Amino acid sequence: MQATNAPRIRGRLRRLWRENPYFSTGMALALLLIVMTGVLVWKNDFDSFAAFGRSWVSNCVNICRNNAVVGIIALGMTLVILTGGIDLAVGSTMVGMGTILLVLMDTGKAGVLGALGIAGIPAILIACAACMACGAGAGALIGVGVTKGRIPPFIVTLGAMNIIRSLAQHFMQGRAAPAVPDAFKLLSNQVVLGQRILPVVYWLVLALLLHWVSRNTAFGRHVYAVGSNARTTRLSGINVDRVLVKVYALEGLLIGIAAIVESARMGSMNTANAGQGYELDAIAAVVVGGTRMSGGRGSILSTVIGMLIIGVMNTLLNLLGVPPFLRAAFKGAIIILAVLLQRKDAE
Amino acid sequence: MALKKPKKPGQQPLALQMRGIEKSFHRNAVLRGVDLTVRRGEIRALLGENGAGKSTLMNILGGIVPMDAGEILLDGKPVRIASARDAIDNGIAFIHQELNLVSDLRVYENIFLGCELRRGLRLNHWGMRVQTNQILRHMKLPLSADALVGNLDASYRQVVEIARALRQHARILIMDEPTTSLTDVEIHSVFRLLRTLRDRGMAVLFISHKLGEVRALCDTYTVLRDGEVVASGDVKDVDERDLARFMVGRDVSAADDYAPRPLGEEALRVEAFSSPRRFIDISFSMRAGEIVGFTGLLGDGRSELFSAIFGCDPHVTGSMFVGGRRVRVRSTEQALRLGIGYVPRNRKENGIVKDMSILHNASLVTLRSLRRRHRPGLDLRLERERFARRAQEMRIRMGSMDDAITSLSGGNQQKVVLAKWLDANPRVMIFDNPTQGVDVGAKEEIYALIRGLAASGVAVAVLSSEAQEIIRLCDRTFVLYHGLIQDELPRERMTEENIMLLATGGDLAGAQDVVGGND
Repeated sequence: MQATNAPRIRGRLRRLWRENPYFSTGMALALLLIVMTGVLVWKNDFDSFAAFGRSWVSNCVNICRNNAVVGIIALGMTLVILTGGIDLAVGSTMVGMGTILLVLMDTGKAGVLGALGIAGIPAILIACAACMACGAGAGALIGVGVTKGRIPPFIVTLGAMNIIRSLAQHFMQGRAAPAVPDAFKLLSNQVVLGQRILPVVYWLVLALLLHWVSRNTAFGRHVYAVGSNARTTRLSGINVDRVLVKVYALEGLLIGIAAIVESARMGSMNTANAGQGYELDAIAAVVVGGTRMSGGRGSILSTVIGMLIIGVMNTLLNLLGVPPFLRAAFKGAIIILAVLLQRKDAE
Repeated sequence: MALKKPKKPGQQPLALQMRGIEKSFHRNAVLRGVDLTVRRGEIRALLGENGAGKSTLMNILGGIVPMDAGEILLDGKPVRIASARDAIDNGIAFIHQELNLVSDLRVYENIFLGCELRRGLRLNHWGMRVQTNQILRHMKLPLSADALVGNLDASYRQVVEIARALRQHARILIMDEPTTSLTDVEIHSVFRLLRTLRDRGMAVLFISHKLGEVRALCDTYTVLRDGEVVASGDVKDVDERDLARFMVGRDVSAADDYAPRPLGEEALRVEAFSSPRRFIDISFSMRAGEIVGFTGLLGDGRSELFSAIFGCDPHVTGSMFVGGRRVRVRSTEQALRLGIGYVPRNRKENGIVKDMSILHNASLVTLRSLRRRHRPGLDLRLERERFARRAQEMRIRMGSMDDAITSLSGGNQQKVVLAKWLDANPRVMIFDNPTQGVDVGAKEEIYALIRGLAASGVAVAVLSSEAQEIIRLCDRTFVLYHGLIQDELPRERMTEENIMLLATGGDLAGAQDVVGGND
């Protein structure tokens, strides 16, 4: 019985490995979770199963929450990379948008909306809307640079990265840190189901929404087509430039949302070092998820899995007591390993 | 080298003899016992249609492919040419159509690329410059060894290639369609150089489709057809029409499956269309239900013309009318909205999205029409049903419509590319090289689809360099030459010989006898 079934099962697994994009990353994530559970039990002496359960759940929630902001950015990054581009400006755009947000709703003397006599919930709503709109606008500008200016995305976003952070820093120089309304902080810190899970909820809802968009709309189909073969796409009567501008604008919008979530969580945003390295973390999530760097292949949900793999691994290293400076080395190794495994595509 | 006065080639010793050359690719005989000789101080034209075996023969001589049988003699001595290196060492220089030059390097650096002169560890720039200048002077060329190759005219780049060959002491020069990318003035200067070299004893093999050039430059000719030498002799004994007939061979009768269709209103008109360096002053009109051919040789500008009509050329000038209304097409999106469809050439690069499934490729053009009425998103079930019907109708042979497009054969891929336009209901359909890389059976099916489209009232433009294809499909055809419409041929005068003659730059003055010959 076993002898006859083994080759068939092996063949089936190989097919899954090769054809289902979630299989290999899903397996990796499951494996890491099992190891993490083991380590959790080993390192702590739980006196009851309930205590273990609570600890396990809070661990997982922590992982998700710690990665929610970068996770939201990585969703947009996935779209950008699917078109064959890249966005290095995400971290500083988030800082820029956060600055706009905070200056608008500052309850102190320098608050713009406060000076106009708008306060409370309306002020928060207006500030958030402005933050998202500006994010989308900044993204669209990058998109225009890429399409009309014919500048490689790497260069445009490298420039934008420096410009936006520098403007934010210059603007905030010598100002008192903006004071944030308490109601705003609840956007990220409201306790739901005994945990502060709102950032995670935003992230996962956005992920599902964007995944649906990428699979079920003309725009989504166009994103894949542009990344795989822009010439054919153009010759099929599709306005490639418009698709690209939309993608970068959408990424900007998501960064706006990330800025809201981040500043609500922290209650502030430091223009000097907030969002530092987010671009690379987001790209790492996309790559580990299995999206092809040259575009045309990958998915939003794989990026969520990729983000979680990185998150679980960080927690695991933490639990194991690996020195902090050494953890980046593991992250680097996993990125390289992920791309190495992706070569199965090429066969 | 010392010969100053041109001698009659017949008195010169043989530089190259190829005897009984045979070559097959996968049981498909490409060369069947070809003999070719070139004397010193002779320019021999090597002629033939695409697929006649010219390139294979020259690739054997250049050491790029091995031959199955036959022998090669240089200056009367048998040699073995097993690699490109052997060929160069034996004084054979192969100047390819795509030039092998580095634009960011200077002339002398290119000439010495890969075999630089050294002085210790450093490069001997001075020595290389001096030698280069000597060669250039020898070629009687006003060219500086220090010029950047990227800044040179196309003709001078060719000259640099030839200079490189001279530095390697080449005695036999193979020029593979050297003039396709050159202007008339540039062609003139390359020809002058070739004559200078000939007069100094160089043996030149000149591959070209342009019979006018052959007449102007070459001393002798050899015509290949289906892997055999069908004619050879002195150029002065023949005219262009003879050469065209040698190349085409048999008197080809017009295909018998042509049937005229009723024509409708004017669908597309183009007036004084020009684009710099692509095509000049093109005017034509097409009626609904008509199949119009556009043919010529490589680089005649027909593909560029129609990609401009489809909105891909921002520099185009002139006016265009679709359905009698004047339009300016600035993007492919606009062209699609005006009802123009386009099956481009080079399917792999322009026709398919290779990471997508068959289904997704087929619905790329018409995704908008799949939008659901009251909810966001696409109607994915309708998409599948629509394509299933289309695939059956067009007899697309596939496993599942979710398989990768690359799992299909060339012919079926091309049908998918065609299918994606059919749901857009175009009134003008452009086919650029529609049967490229398509097997015979699928070819017939694609012809049937094109005829069916025309019968349903679509104006069809067929771009092809295969005269047979044009003759079988088209009601009339335009022949282009160097970006100009050389002439228009109505169905009665559409013969392979006439097309070949026009495509090579000739004209049909006194062409009556050719028509007479076919009747």
